[in-house]
Amino acid sequence: MASKMALSRSFRLWGRALVVQRRSMGTGPLGYFPSRLDIGKREVVGFGLTGEECYVEDVHSPFPAIRFKEDTAEIAMLREKEKGDWKKLTVPERKELYRASFAQTLTEMEAPTGEWKPILGVTLFLSSLGIWFYLWMRKFVYDDLPETMTNEELVKDQIRFMIEGRTNPVQGLASNYDYEKGQWKK
Amino acid sequence: MMSWGQLGFQDAGSYFMEEFIYFHDFTMMIILGVLSYVVVFLILGLISGWVDSGFVEGQLIEFMWTIFPALILIQIAFPSLLLLYLIEDFSKSFLVCKVIGHQWYWSYEIKTESSELLASVDCYMLPREDAFGMRLLLTDEFLMLPINVPVRILVTSDDVIHSWTLPSLGIKGDAVPGRLNQLNLTLNRKAMFYGQCSEICGANHSFMPIMLMGVYSWEFFAWLDRL
Repeated sequence: MASKMALSRSFRLWGRALVVQRRSMGTGPLGYFPSRLDIGKREVVGFGLTGEECYVEDVHSPFPAIRFKEDTAEIAMLREKEKGDWKKLTVPERKELYRASFAQTLTEMEAPTGEWKPILGVTLFLSSLGIWFYLWMRKFVYDDLPETMTNEELVKDQIRFMIEGRTNPVQGLASNYDYEKGQWKK
Repeated sequence: MMSWGQLGFQDAGSYFMEEFIYFHDFTMMIILGVLSYVVVFLILGLISGWVDSGFVEGQLIEFMWTIFPALILIQIAFPSLLLLYLIEDFSKSFLVCKVIGHQWYWSYEIKTESSELLASVDCYMLPREDAFGMRLLLTDEFLMLPINVPVRILVTSDDVIHSWTLPSLGIKGDAVPGRLNQLNLTLNRKAMFYGQCSEICGANHSFMPIMLMGVYSWEFFAWLDRL
């Protein structure tokens, strides 16, 4: 008995989530596609983003297909008042009506989330791991630079070779050497 | 050879390398123009608040951003193909130089077009203590060629694949055993040019450098007489 009741309840819940209805818009291949969500008593007010009767609110489509809240008695009364002159609505009443239809104002939607802080933090942390790894490689893995790069006498020999060999005489090293005077150009 | 901290090309030692540098500068100009254009729009797109998500099927803009890059690419392709075929133009040459890669040294045979052997040289790398600070670049002998004389270079190998490279001359030819790869070289100035083997060929692949000296014709003949 209890298991039958549990099964029946789960069927009802499943049915509420996925009610199979013929779409009002046509009878094509998607005509029997289960598409309608249970929106309770919320009023359908427009097309929304895709035509689905669900609350989708975004800066690209700021007008959702359904109202955000179900109409209470107080809201229903304000809706009647809304049909008249809007100047007679007080500011709290206007806010109440707005909050009944929308979850957030545009300002709240566009407000900064501060998401950049953890993003920057994690990025810098991972970059620092890379830099620590590079420093470890330099200290424990790489050999010293060869003597030909650190010994000043050998570097001077190389420069002499490069001058005598006319290395890069147009824009490079030998272009800075005056061959007639035998010295660097001033 | 390269100087310390050098990022760009070495100064050209052959006429082809001059053309390569000009082509590189030309293409780099186009690349920088396109890059600037893209970066400006990228930054504008990031800092602007609103975007038009409903902007689809702009036929004119799609046409322009297809045609414009195609025109740029055609403009790059013309000099590129011109150079490509120019370096393969083997008209008159006065000397033939056969470059043979061994493990791990280069040998050169200089001949006339009628295959009369003029010189044969084996070039082994000098050890570090004898190299006057020119680590991994100096050889005991070196190849000498006359400047402003077209030379046909035939590259081959005696054992495994090597690659004969001289960056300042803009030439690189794989030395493949059983095959002759032909290169065209005309030196344009008197200088010493260095290169290194560019195809992994064993334990001493890094220790078989190439030295080539460009000299006047009479100096070249004097060198031949001394050999």
